[in-house]
Amino acid sequence: MILDLERFQAQARPRWRHLECLLAAFESRPDRRLSPDEAEQLQELYAQAASDLNRVTHGSLAPELRQYLERLVARAYAELYYAPPSRSEMWQPRRWLRIFTAFPETFRRQARYFALAVLITVLGCALGGVAVRYDPASVDVLLPADYLRNPGQRVHEEEQGQGRHRHSAQMEAAFSAQLIRHNIEVALLAAALGVTFGIGTALLLFENGVLLGAVTVHYTQQGFGLFVTAWLLPHGVFEIPSILIAGQAGFYLARLLLRRQEDRNLRQSMREWLVLVTGLAMMLVWAGLMEAFFSQYHAPVLPYGLKVAVAAAELVLLTIYLLMIGQRATGIEMRHGDSLESR
Amino acid sequence: MSETPSTRAGVVAELTIATAEGVLFRLPLAGPAARLYALLLDTVIVLGTINGLGYLVYWLFAIAPGFGFMVITLAEFAIGFAYSALLEGFWNGQTIGKRLFHLRVIDQDGLPLRIEQAWVRNLMRVLDLLPSAYLVGGISVLSSPLMQRFGDRVAGTLVIRQTPLALPGEEFWTRQKYNSFMEYPAIAMRLRRAATPELASLIQEALRRRNELAPYARREIYRELAQYLQTEISPFPDELVERLSDEQYLINSSGILFGDQPTLGYGSPRR
Repeated sequence: MILDLERFQAQARPRWRHLECLLAAFESRPDRRLSPDEAEQLQELYAQAASDLNRVTHGSLAPELRQYLERLVARAYAELYYAPPSRSEMWQPRRWLRIFTAFPETFRRQARYFALAVLITVLGCALGGVAVRYDPASVDVLLPADYLRNPGQRVHEEEQGQGRHRHSAQMEAAFSAQLIRHNIEVALLAAALGVTFGIGTALLLFENGVLLGAVTVHYTQQGFGLFVTAWLLPHGVFEIPSILIAGQAGFYLARLLLRRQEDRNLRQSMREWLVLVTGLAMMLVWAGLMEAFFSQYHAPVLPYGLKVAVAAAELVLLTIYLLMIGQRATGIEMRHGDSLESR
Repeated sequence: MSETPSTRAGVVAELTIATAEGVLFRLPLAGPAARLYALLLDTVIVLGTINGLGYLVYWLFAIAPGFGFMVITLAEFAIGFAYSALLEGFWNGQTIGKRLFHLRVIDQDGLPLRIEQAWVRNLMRVLDLLPSAYLVGGISVLSSPLMQRFGDRVAGTLVIRQTPLALPGEEFWTRQKYNSFMEYPAIAMRLRRAATPELASLIQEALRRRNELAPYARREIYRELAQYLQTEISPFPDELVERLSDEQYLINSSGILFGDQPTLGYGSPRR
């Protein structure tokens, strides 16, 4: 069937214009909500434009007109079927504070990916520890940085150094910012590497584990076990779990991508990933502050016992937070997720 | 972006959306080059903002430069992610760069993107910009049928080209009072039956774009079209054709193909 474009356009032009005006009005609305009457009107014009598009597509060769109608139909479609969150809901403080309960809830819901991350890190630790224990030559390979290889010198420097150039709060602030930024970047990368089907995430965790195991065993062998515990743990009890949670997010993502397209609930899954990443970023902010303002003080200034006690207290609080806070029953959570989606 | 639709129709990747009501429409996907330009512009804006903020902070924290450095480092980091995520999330899927280059991020179902999607695709940037200059993201875009970088794949988003909406002009080219082809109803009928919709539209488009074509190109196109019609479809008598220019020949043909037909009372091709 040959379509007489000119006549067709002359007839349809008024209703396209009408739709255009309507769309412009709706799109400039801040909350993008439609009243039932408006929705009905939009629906009618959308259906007409869609049928016009169909006629142009099959009855003629008019690329510009077709493109115009496609744009018009696409805009109307988006306006009709998009369910935006309302402004008031978005700016409610309660909605934002929910991250503090959503994080431990999500952490528990996806606990098996956390277990996988722990397993891989522990394997790395074991390899690093065993290598250093039985093959001292491997220290040079495993611990490339000079300060890691000579614990005695490092401990001496650390303990003396704090007297020589007094730690100023300012230097610590600058240092903590860099730590926070670097750690969040690394953790984000671990979480994002899930797109490599988890291989990248696993490698990153394993490498991290090897380094951790090697440093710990090397320092302990040289008799600086207490020093290294007091040096690393006050921030490590947040830093290490947060990288494990990054691994958890990475493996969760990998599992999602391995599912068949139609089985993915992308909307729900994205929220889970995002909540995990936000949560671990908050943990890393704390870890960065601790590392700069607390961990760097050593024996004469801060007794090692106190540092270890602080670390232990932190660990207990973190464990309680991750395991106890938020709703226990996952069924309620799922219903909540559904209601969010159906909005 | 100034290409004509006809040259880009076959080249450019597009997403076809089939709605629940059975409506099909295509969305043109943005190529890597346009996205790179938009990205560069956004980078300039972000760096400018951070530098401006830097001066402000150094001035405010003049007594405590260490804390100033802390604020700057963290602000720079946060702005790097939040600039795109917030703008895309709240400003119809567009950053300033994207708006200027007519790009827009949407959900891959053709709907506006949601705020979580904007955050996910921008947090995933840490992967896409590796090892440098967005190599990973670039390879991902080029190897994906929907031109998605990894952030887009995970967030279920894509970047489309959104040129301003413009309804084609409404000048009438093919209407005229007298059509000499009407004097040969049998041949005119033949033309009407043999011409495909594509051919008919081609003639109409060629006439409609008369003023967009260079004179030489127009002469050539009209000559070829008229010759094709005359030899392959509807040989009108020579004594008539000799009197007509190629353009007039096409105008007459278009009148036969689309016009009112006092010819043989054959059923109207239109509704």
